[in-house]
Amino acid sequence: MKTLVVDDFSTMRKLIKNVLKQIGISDVVEAENGKQVLDLLKKEQIELIVSDWIMPEMTGIEFLKLCKADDNLKKIPFIMVTAEAQKGNIMEAIKSGVDNYIVKPFTPEKLQEAINKAIQRAKM
Amino acid sequence: MDVKYINPFIIATQTTFKTMFSTELKLNKPILKQDRRTSGDITGIMGLAGDKKGTLCVSFNERGALYLYSLLVGEKYEKVTSEIVDSIGELTNIISGQSRKEFEKIGLNLSAAIPMVIVGKNVELNFITVTPIVSVPFAFSLSNGDIDFINLDFSFEDAGSK
Repeated sequence: MKTLVVDDFSTMRKLIKNVLKQIGISDVVEAENGKQVLDLLKKEQIELIVSDWIMPEMTGIEFLKLCKADDNLKKIPFIMVTAEAQKGNIMEAIKSGVDNYIVKPFTPEKLQEAINKAIQRAKM
Repeated sequence: MDVKYINPFIIATQTTFKTMFSTELKLNKPILKQDRRTSGDITGIMGLAGDKKGTLCVSFNERGALYLYSLLVGEKYEKVTSEIVDSIGELTNIISGQSRKEFEKIGLNLSAAIPMVIVGKNVELNFITVTPIVSVPFAFSLSNGDIDFINLDFSFEDAGSK
């Protein structure tokens, strides 16, 4: 399953890649923000997006809204993994169509569970 | 400073360490910091705005930062590299997020930007606030049983203060 991991911190991208590897997902594309991958999304068959919120150039919420507004991208499961833990942020992401919202800090098990749920929902 | 403004930072830091590193942080006695300089070898800094304004600094010793990075991503380094700096920025970001969640519970809405990281001990910091800086030290065990420390330094005041 080709997965896109978007986070401006390389440590977090590495951590998420390690978690993905543990559940058998090794085909991973990385980016520091959504703007970097807008062209890539049109060319590559991305099947899962895991994205941070606060990033330079394009925030995760802007990236989420762009994806959900695009007929070719809206069905890709989109998981937000972010330090933004306030209710207002969570509600905004839900209203914008996020498929799951994980607050940092997280355990690998929590992220794995969220990814598995998002994949199952996408298959329905 | 009212303890209700200190507790969110303590809870946030301990929660972050417990979740991400399975490590207990022992809280030592908070003090008022007498200088405006970084407490450790590598410091993450985050401004806070909203119902209150302030600055949060999370300081690590080099040894502790290297150890925590190895726990986080399974890679060991002997010296501070760009990867270590990056990880401290992310940890600061996470502690800030958790703190703001705790502040929301007591009716305070705060926002934060992208953190910055300073490498160097005793680097002078320009806090945007004039209120005293509270310094909260924590101790944690490394895998060899040695004790290392992190320091949370923060200053907080009403948003309209000059």
